[in-house]
Amino acid sequence: MADDYERLSSEVHGRKVGSKKVRAVATLIVVFGVIAIVFLYLFSLTQGAYPISFAEAFEQMKIIIETMGNPEDMSGSIIFTIRMPRSIAVLLVGAGLAVAGAVMQALIHNPLVDPYVTGVSSGASFGVVLMTLGGVISVGSVATMWLIPVGAIIGAVGAFILTMTVAEAAGGKAMSYVLGGTIMAAGMSAGTTLIMYFNADKIQHITSWMFGSFATVQWDDVMIMFIPIILIIAFMVLQARKLNVMLLGETQAQYLGMNARTYKRNLLILVAILTAFCVAYCGVIGFLGLVIPHLCRMVVGGDHRVLLPTSIVVGSLVLLVADIICKSNPSGELPIGAIISVVGVPFFIYLMVKEGKKYVM
Amino acid sequence: MSCDGPVLRVSDMVFGYDKENNLEDITFDIKAGEFVAILGQNGSGKTTLMRCINKILKINSGDVLIDDDSILSMSMEEIARVCTTVPADVSLDFSLTVRDYISLGRTPFIKSLWWEDEEDERIIDQALWDFGITQYESRRLHELSSGERARVVLAKGVVQTPKLMLVDEPSAHLDIKYKVQVMELLKMLADKGMAILMANHDINLLTRFCDRILLLHKGHIIADGPPKDVITAENIRTVFGIEVEMVESNGVPYVLPTGSTLTGGSIR
Repeated sequence: MADDYERLSSEVHGRKVGSKKVRAVATLIVVFGVIAIVFLYLFSLTQGAYPISFAEAFEQMKIIIETMGNPEDMSGSIIFTIRMPRSIAVLLVGAGLAVAGAVMQALIHNPLVDPYVTGVSSGASFGVVLMTLGGVISVGSVATMWLIPVGAIIGAVGAFILTMTVAEAAGGKAMSYVLGGTIMAAGMSAGTTLIMYFNADKIQHITSWMFGSFATVQWDDVMIMFIPIILIIAFMVLQARKLNVMLLGETQAQYLGMNARTYKRNLLILVAILTAFCVAYCGVIGFLGLVIPHLCRMVVGGDHRVLLPTSIVVGSLVLLVADIICKSNPSGELPIGAIISVVGVPFFIYLMVKEGKKYVM
Repeated sequence: MSCDGPVLRVSDMVFGYDKENNLEDITFDIKAGEFVAILGQNGSGKTTLMRCINKILKINSGDVLIDDDSILSMSMEEIARVCTTVPADVSLDFSLTVRDYISLGRTPFIKSLWWEDEEDERIIDQALWDFGITQYESRRLHELSSGERARVVLAKGVVQTPKLMLVDEPSAHLDIKYKVQVMELLKMLADKGMAILMANHDINLLTRFCDRILLLHKGHIIADGPPKDVITAENIRTVFGIEVEMVESNGVPYVLPTGSTLTGGSIR
């Protein structure tokens, strides 16, 4: 037996290459993803109504860094005041929604959910629209700028609590959360539509926001969203191993010594807050939180220690590419939420048909 | 704390949802190396009893001692370090590999935030080897057959290095070969000194492999002893309401269900 074990030990270590290979693939995705993000970030600075070449954008970036944010001419000014904050917000939101989706899928124990499907995004959207059109937030006012994420958080957490209450009352099964969220999303969207209907005079700004757009994001907005999004993402990454345990379900996580119910509730509230900060300044972007974790899971597997870092990079990258496509449209800027959904909806249908039968509905 | 006494001692335990008691006056113990089964009708409280022992459910009165420590004064993590609960199957697939899944059994002992240490890796390697699943370690769970998955689920329980293992319906959905294999693996673990309490409906497997059987009926243990004392035609009739014929092979009693549940074409 001992000899067998020694012999096997070397075989096992040989096979461990399997799991090491996954980590190596994930590392490659992260490294090349970051390089691609740097390149595409610079490229995104060239895209928009005012033409700026790549070389000029690169030069302007150097000047902006050297002068600590004092561009010398119009190109530099456009890059610094409009395009830089916009692309940084895109990267933050891409990473934030991808993490929110991956974590929500693990906690709710259902790979077909994300902040959009569970109504959290719609709740955040409803909160902002209600406060904006209700007069609490006046568009463009610096004094009330801070109230936008507040409205989004109240809406997101409120929708989340309602979804959880409905889902738990309906038996707390994995599909209960999807159905509860779908109902909540429909209710929130209806509420948003009604508020907008009765405020047609203020509708223009909100309409573009509702479709999902980074066009109006400024440095002040980035400053507000940066710290909470980064902190929550970092916290979630540190929770990777516990999230793996949560994949077993609440009861089995308890068998392993976790206070699973409290843990799940607390993390879902954090996911709702993360979603709220992502949605607050750019509107609802559906399906990103669903599609990115799935894409990454197909390549690197379900271990959150590799899944979350990979999702962060791929989420940022995909949303940055989508935003560049939106900005590059010659006949005017496209709504990024719609662009992502155009890809996300068929992917979601594919997942439901292919994977849905496996799960306890 | 190590002791010469039983690994599990349940004394005068009472549990009930709302005002109705589902389990009453439950008293028994299990020593190290004993393989004990709970047998009873569907809904008789077998799983509930296990959930009281691992503190998922809070008992109304009485006490449960694991390795001489009362679960009432233990945290869930402390319980998880001495007691593992093995579920019937893996319910969902999130593309975890066999190794990733088994490594979750080390959760109560993990010191670092992310990765397992060398001791954890050694225990996981050993379990993979003992259960003959080393060659599957990089495969995803959904790629395994039910029999292979049953071994993986048991291996996850074993890497928790427990003194007490609670096993809920381990051979459900398995064919006869894998049913026997799972029982042999559990017997092997008991022979190594683990105390095992298992819920299972397959009476003939219990009589062959288990040291003792607890017969649970209407919330009470009505018989506790070796299979040949507990599995009698009378006890089976009392608990399950069906006539059986007892046969014996190599000193092991087996049950042949000769009665019917139908009277005049309708269910009794």
